[in-house]
Amino acid sequence: MKRAHVDELDRVEMDDGFVWRPIRRRFDIRAFGVNAYSPREAGAQVVEEHTERQLEHEEIYLVLRGRARFTVDGDEHELGPGQLVFIRDPQLRRGAVGLTDDTIVLALGGKPGAAYVPSAWEPMFYAVPLMREERWDEAIRIHEEALEEQPDHPALLYNLACLEARGGRRLDALLHLKRAAELEPTWAEHAAKDSDFASIRSEPGFPA
Amino acid sequence: MSKGYEILSLDDLEPLPGNPTGGGLLLPLRHTLGLRAFGANAWTAELGRHIVPPHEEESGDEELYVVVRGRARFTVDGNAFDAPEGTLVHVTAGEHREAIAEEEGTIVLAVGATPGRPFERRGWDDVVVAFAHGAAGRVAEGRTVMHDLPDGEASWVKPYNLACYEARFGDRDRARAHLDEAIARSDDAREYAAHDSDLDSIRE
Repeated sequence: MKRAHVDELDRVEMDDGFVWRPIRRRFDIRAFGVNAYSPREAGAQVVEEHTERQLEHEEIYLVLRGRARFTVDGDEHELGPGQLVFIRDPQLRRGAVGLTDDTIVLALGGKPGAAYVPSAWEPMFYAVPLMREERWDEAIRIHEEALEEQPDHPALLYNLACLEARGGRRLDALLHLKRAAELEPTWAEHAAKDSDFASIRSEPGFPA
Repeated sequence: MSKGYEILSLDDLEPLPGNPTGGGLLLPLRHTLGLRAFGANAWTAELGRHIVPPHEEESGDEELYVVVRGRARFTVDGNAFDAPEGTLVHVTAGEHREAIAEEEGTIVLAVGATPGRPFERRGWDDVVVAFAHGAAGRVAEGRTVMHDLPDGEASWVKPYNLACYEARFGDRDRARAHLDEAIARSDDAREYAAHDSDLDSIRE
C-alpha cells in the first residue's frame, strides 16, 4: 500500500504554465494512467491543450479542488469540485485553465481494448526540470529506465539522443538518433532542424 | 454522448444500495459514462459506515482510492490511517482494505484494472443499477441493463442474474426460463438457487 495527499505530490513545472503532479509514477501503477495537475497560478493552463489521437486514450478529468475552465472541441465548461469531463473521442482537442491558485485536476486515462502501457511522455515530462538545469546525466538516466520497458519507442530514443548530444555523449546520441529514425523516419526530418543536435550534425552517419 | 464527451457532477449520480460485497452506496460512474478502458466508481456512505467494504481484489485489479470529499478512515493490511479530502491510497490486489466514512457526505472514488490485461467490465455495477431500476418500478429499463451484461467467464452467471431480476421485479415465467438455462449450464446455479432469496417468488 502506498498513500499520499495531493499536496504532497511532486511539482513538475512545465513551460505551458501547468504543473504536473505525478501519481502513476509515484505509486508505480501499471493498469491505468492517473496523474494530477495544478496551474502555476490562477489563470494559467492546468491541462495542456492536446488530443489523444496518438495514444487513443479515453480520459476523465475530475476537479478535486478549486475551479477550472475546460475547452473541449471548442466548447467551454467551467467546473468545480466533484465535477468532471469524460472525453470518449480521442480526436477531440481538450485543455483547461485553472481559475484559482489551489485548483487540482485529477486525470485518468487508458485505451479501450488494450492493456495499459505507461505513456512515454511521463519520463519526458519528468526530465524537463533536469534539462532546464542542464543535469544531462540524470535526465538521460530517466530515459534509459523508460527504454528498458519500451526499447523501441521512437520518441523516447529521439529525446534520449537530444539529451546525449547536449551532454557531450556524441556517439551515443548518433546511435540512438539513427535507431529512432529507423523506427520512425519523420524523426530524421525533425533532427535536421533540431538545435539539440548542433554538435553532431556534421558527423558522418547523421540521419538527415 | 453524440458529442464524444460528457460533463458530469458526482452529485448528479443517484446513490444506489445493493453492492454485492456490502459497504456503501454506489455512485455508478462507470455504468453512466460507459467507461471501457478502466473501472471507476464513486462511493458514499452514512457517517460511521463502510464506504469501502472489507475485501481483497480476487480479480487481480490494482486500485487507487481518492477521497474526493469529506474524510475516511482506511485500514489496509491492519494499518489504519486517517484519509482527509485529497488523499490517494494505492492498493495492490492481495492487500486487504476497508474504509469507514468519517464525515457526512464523504465521497471516495475507486479506480481499478488489472495490470497487463485489457479492461473488461464484469457487470456487477450494472446489476446494481438494474436492480435499482427494478426497485423503482422501471422494470423495462432494468431489464435492458440486465440483457446488456457481459457473458463473463462462467456461462451460467448471466442467465442466473436474469432469473433473479425477473423473479424480483418482472415476469416469473421469464425467471423460470432463465433459471432453467443457468442450471443447464452448471450445477453451481442449482446450489446458489437453493438459498437465494431473490428467487423466493418462483420457489416451489
